[in-house]
Amino acid sequence: VKRIAVAWVTLIALMLASLGSAYLRLGAWNLAIGLAIAAAKGAVVLWLFMGLGRGPAVIRLAAAVAAFVLVLLVGLGGVDFATRVDDPASLQVPQQLRPLSQGGAAR
Amino acid sequence: METLAAVVVPEHDREVGRIGMWVFLATELLFFGGLLWAYAVVRGRWPHGVAVAGAHTHVVLGTINTALLLTSSALVAAAVEAVRSGRRKFSDRAPALLAAAAVLGVAFLLVKGVEYAMELREGLLPGPGFALAGERGAELFFLLYWVMTALHALHLAVGVGLLGAYAWGTHGLRRWATPDRAEVAGLYWHFVDLVWIVLYPLLYLAGRNA
Repeated sequence: VKRIAVAWVTLIALMLASLGSAYLRLGAWNLAIGLAIAAAKGAVVLWLFMGLGRGPAVIRLAAAVAAFVLVLLVGLGGVDFATRVDDPASLQVPQQLRPLSQGGAAR
Repeated sequence: METLAAVVVPEHDREVGRIGMWVFLATELLFFGGLLWAYAVVRGRWPHGVAVAGAHTHVVLGTINTALLLTSSALVAAAVEAVRSGRRKFSDRAPALLAAAAVLGVAFLLVKGVEYAMELREGLLPGPGFALAGERGAELFFLLYWVMTALHALHLAVGVGLLGAYAWGTHGLRRWATPDRAEVAGLYWHFVDLVWIVLYPLLYLAGRNA
C-alpha cells in the first residue's frame, strides 16, 4: 500500500511538472518534455499498477509484441507521409467566359 | 465465513485471464495508436494550427480529470493488492476501494460532459460554423480531439461498469468475483488511464505558451 501511495504522489507530481512545463517557451522541447513525462507516468502505471515488473515472461512478451506492432504500424505508415510532396493542389477559380456566339475568348 | 482469498481457481485459469486481457489491450493499443498516428501527421503538417486549436481546450478541467484518473488507478491498484493479500483486515477494504475508483470515473465523465457543453457553445465542434475555420489544421485537431476523447470516455464508461460490478461482487463475496478476475478488470482500468496519460499533453498542453 505504501508503494502505491508513493506511486500516486509521483504521478501527481509528474502531472503538475508536465502542466508547468507547457507554459514555458521551449519550442520543440515542449512536446518532447510532455511526451517524456507521459512516458514516465505510463511506466509507473505499467510497472507498479499493472504488475508488468513482477509479471510472468509471457505477459511481458504480450506487452512487448503490442508495442512492437505499434512501432511497425507507425513506421510503415510513416513511409508514405515522409515521402509525399506536400504541394498545394492547383485551384482554378471558377469564371464566366463570354459565349462563343459573342466572339468567345477569355474575360 | 470465507474470505475473498479463499475463493480460488486453478493456476492456469488465472494466467489465461491475465494473458487474455493483455492481448485484448494490445488490440486496443493499435486502435488508439492509429488515432495518435493521425494526430502526429496533423501536428507535423500544421504545427501552428494545432497550437492555436490546443490553446482553446480547457486545461483546468483536463488537469482535474487527469488527477481523477491517476487517483482512481491508484485506488484500483490498492484494491487488487488488498484482495490478493489474503488477509481479512485488508481484503475487506477492496469493495470500498473499487467503488471509490468507480465514483472517480463517474466524476471524470461529468467533468468531461461539462467540458463538451462548453466547447459546443464555443463552436469548437468541426463542421459548419467552426470557430477557428480560418486556421489550417485547427479543425482536424478538434476532429481528433472529439473522436479520441469520446472513444476514451466510452471505454471509461465500460470500466466504471466493470469496477462497479466487482465492488458489488467482492462485497457480497459472489463466486464469480474472484481476486484474479478483479485484477483483470483492474488491468483494463489502468489501460484507460494510460490512454488518458498520453492524450493529456497532446490535447491539453499543446500551444499553451503562445
